[in-house]
Amino acid sequence: MRRSREPKRIRNIGWLRLKAPAALTAALLVASAATSLLYEVNAAGPDRIPSYVAFTPETIAAAASGNTFRGMLLARRCEHCHGAEGFSPLGSTPNLAAMNNLALWKQLEDFRDRKRKSGAMVPIAESLSGRDQADLVAYYSSLPVFSDPQDNRIFPQPQIASAHLETASRLITFGDGTRGIPPCQACHGPVAYKTGVPSLATQNADYLLNQLDAFARGSRANDINEPMRTIAALLSEDERRALAEYYGAGLGLQPAGSSPGATP
Amino acid sequence: MNWKKIRTVLLTALFLSLIPVTRYYQIDQPILRSLEGRRPLNPVELHLAGEFVESNLGTEIDSNGSVTLRMLAQQYLFIPHCVLIPAGVPVHLRITSADAVHSFAIEGTGYNVKVLPGTVSQTQLQFPDAGVYKTACREFCGAGHYAMRSVVKVVPREQFPALRPEERGNCAAE
Repeated sequence: MRRSREPKRIRNIGWLRLKAPAALTAALLVASAATSLLYEVNAAGPDRIPSYVAFTPETIAAAASGNTFRGMLLARRCEHCHGAEGFSPLGSTPNLAAMNNLALWKQLEDFRDRKRKSGAMVPIAESLSGRDQADLVAYYSSLPVFSDPQDNRIFPQPQIASAHLETASRLITFGDGTRGIPPCQACHGPVAYKTGVPSLATQNADYLLNQLDAFARGSRANDINEPMRTIAALLSEDERRALAEYYGAGLGLQPAGSSPGATP
Repeated sequence: MNWKKIRTVLLTALFLSLIPVTRYYQIDQPILRSLEGRRPLNPVELHLAGEFVESNLGTEIDSNGSVTLRMLAQQYLFIPHCVLIPAGVPVHLRITSADAVHSFAIEGTGYNVKVLPGTVSQTQLQFPDAGVYKTACREFCGAGHYAMRSVVKVVPREQFPALRPEERGNCAAE
């Protein structure tokens, strides 16, 4: 009796061994079929998200929570490219002096999330803690617009063609209603600022032109609700150059309509 | 408290209660929204998730053929800046604002939709003929308000392409 039972039991287990993987395979097949069906329904694919930053009260408070003095100590790391007083010695690197703190905060977050591409800034942003980031933002946004004249900054850049001056002045003051281009100074100052929008008054021409071209091509796509991709694509190449030269020459410090051609 | 006073109060209350009723079908129903447990739209978080993420904007044709146009108004642009819609077919417009109060008006037509942050304004558009229409913001929204304009391109139904999500509502390059 015992002898006959044992092989039976073993046979039963063997059958179970066969059954369990079969059931698992069937379940996996059903699950994958269901998933593929879901994906077919959701043919639009995953959402395209330009930036994980949203200007909620929490973000605004976090961006304003830094310590300026600690930021000054940390900023020694940044001065090779961004200059000792926030004015960059390189035309292709942005000036950060007196930049809006939310704009700085957002760019650092976007570098960390790889929503804005930069070989230099991505690892730097990844190495910063939340407190470091807030301190740096506080320091750079507190710097005065005009720093030490002995500094080796390349701002302001003097050259702007008179045709370019007129084009840029018109676009900055009035925009272009027929093409739907809003005036630059309505969001980038000095007339008004939108939340989280950088001030352009003391920005380098080369940097601005690079960014406008990148927005127009779509290779920079971290603007929330795509305003800059839209506007840069509407502007002609010549207009983009004119705007970059205008701001690079330091003319953006006063409202453009007030005194065209005035030097700071 | 005499009857006249009570009547005045009651009539005022009745009149005020009619205001949300008239608005009920124009804006995305807040009562329905709360009954269905959906959170109200946060204007500063539209790009993170939900109906108005940037890959969802533009014209969409359902499998049953109904056309939905999703747009976003912000200071001082309508996104997408140029939208394609088919002629002769009702187009369901859904539009919301990311900041201030705007108004989406299509010139040469009677369409003028108030756009409020936090709610979805909706209306049915229908264009009998193909053509290019300019749109404008008709609610003062700030320093760049007068330049807040965009384009609606109406194309014949048979020409209306079956758009992939990334090309929806982007006719600025044409």
